[in-house]
Amino acid sequence: MVGRRSLISMGGHYLALVLTAVVMIFPLMWMFRVAFALPGGGLDLAVLLSADWTIQNFRDLFVQANIGRALVNSLLVGGAVTLGNILFCFMVAYGLARYRYLTNRLLFATVLAVLMIPMHIVIIPLYLLCLEAGIYDSYWALILPWLVNPIGIFLVKQYIESIPPSMEEAARIDGAGEMRIVFRVVMPLCKPALAVLAIQVFFTNWNSFLFPFILTSRDSLRTLPVALALYQGHQAIDWPHLMAGSTVAVVPILAVFLFMQRHIVSGITAGAIKQ
Amino acid sequence: MRLTRSAGLSLTSPWILTFGLIWAFPVVYSLYIGFTDYRLLADSYRWIGWANYTELLGDPDFLAALKNTFIFVIGTIPVTTVLALGMALLVNRQFPGRSIFRSAFFLPSITSMVVVALIFTNLLSRGGYISFLASSVGLDPPAHGFLYDNSTALYAIMAMDVWMSVGYYMLIFLAGLKSIPDELYEAAEIAGASCGRTFFSVTLPLLRPVALFVIVINSIKSFQVFVEIFVMTKGKFDTATAVYFIYEQGLTTAFRIGYASAAAYVLFVIIGTFSIAQFLLIRRKASTW
Repeated sequence: MVGRRSLISMGGHYLALVLTAVVMIFPLMWMFRVAFALPGGGLDLAVLLSADWTIQNFRDLFVQANIGRALVNSLLVGGAVTLGNILFCFMVAYGLARYRYLTNRLLFATVLAVLMIPMHIVIIPLYLLCLEAGIYDSYWALILPWLVNPIGIFLVKQYIESIPPSMEEAARIDGAGEMRIVFRVVMPLCKPALAVLAIQVFFTNWNSFLFPFILTSRDSLRTLPVALALYQGHQAIDWPHLMAGSTVAVVPILAVFLFMQRHIVSGITAGAIKQ
Repeated sequence: MRLTRSAGLSLTSPWILTFGLIWAFPVVYSLYIGFTDYRLLADSYRWIGWANYTELLGDPDFLAALKNTFIFVIGTIPVTTVLALGMALLVNRQFPGRSIFRSAFFLPSITSMVVVALIFTNLLSRGGYISFLASSVGLDPPAHGFLYDNSTALYAIMAMDVWMSVGYYMLIFLAGLKSIPDELYEAAEIAGASCGRTFFSVTLPLLRPVALFVIVINSIKSFQVFVEIFVMTKGKFDTATAVYFIYEQGLTTAFRIGYASAAAYVLFVIIGTFSIAQFLLIRRKASTW
């Protein structure tokens, strides 16, 4: 039987939950509402009570502000970096998990060390490096430095180590070549870990601002976050358009999140707790 | 396993290249360039010893940036940690709708920082929603909005940062809560311990490593706060942080690469010291159990 005390505590629990949820969700709802507001408004509360909805803001963004280009850039760069990480993190992780030489143990120590190095130290040298290498202000600058990442290596290595090597041994006895074993036997087995990795990398890349911002200068190379941050700069603040652009940047991520929540949550906690 | 060394080397080569070019080289090169007067467009540069570092120590902008960075770290981390733990406890037990609430709490963490910063620029501006809330509970919001006032801008950005990151750390706490064996709770119940007593004597001590981990990664991240400052205030109204200073010195107008690299190294050493201290603390605490 449910006692009065536990009813009260249950009520309190739900009250706390709902209040927290409102605080966490409200700003995103606000963005969404303002994105459909009439031009010129979008700051005060009037917009919440207003019954006017329009998709004109989105149309303007794609037609005049060329946000379509930024969207394509984000998808292109995100896709390339994600594919690169799936391949390269897997290769490196396999090398580290199965080839046990001293040099490899040292190499794994560098993976762990990089997890602790603050990114800010890289800003200026990477900028200079890209200038020197002639890839500053090109797609290469947005892709090449990020094709493999230490958290990804760590995640996949853990996973490979949980796979018994007997499958590889069997394939070897059957006469399969080394590369065939790596890519045809082991890689398919790692699908769950690689899915988690792919989502993590794509999200990080999709949302990243700092490096795309400092490593490019041309308008045509802007990714969504860069385009949004700079859109604010050269116009008087125009909230409906800015929030419409933000919605364009958020919706794909939201969709992926809602469909693949379990992978995302397990990826985050696996990456975090095992370090 | 009897696999060839060359196969191992070719498999790990992507990391060797990335590590060398993106990590090892920058860490060493920054150190070197920090001792020179390198400017991007100058013809040549020369070794100037500690001159950049002594200039930094007397540069009011740098000292202000360091002060703001410390305010940011010291102000946000306890709040984020406590709120994240509280939220983890709220969604830890079984109840209908649990996963919906958990996702709702986590949503801000997967949103782009630029987008979050833009939304809050709107909410925090004059006549915006948060000003309205403040005045409706009898507070007096700044005349030009929270972001255009020296005494509120940094704190407003800090509050936003807490809002954004709390869901992520909640997930880490949740994983930590799951790893506490049920037997301990059963034992506490048999011993007649109250909820509060169970929390302070069972849950909290066992969560200590997770909490310290959350604090370490959150402080490494928070020491480098940049994007929200760039989007929301461009470092004005006493909000410039260390990384903003580095960006401004090294990659805008004057392009003082050497000077900015020295500043980056100061921050690097601060973060390093902080992390090592926290790790030693974790190890000591862990060994006393």
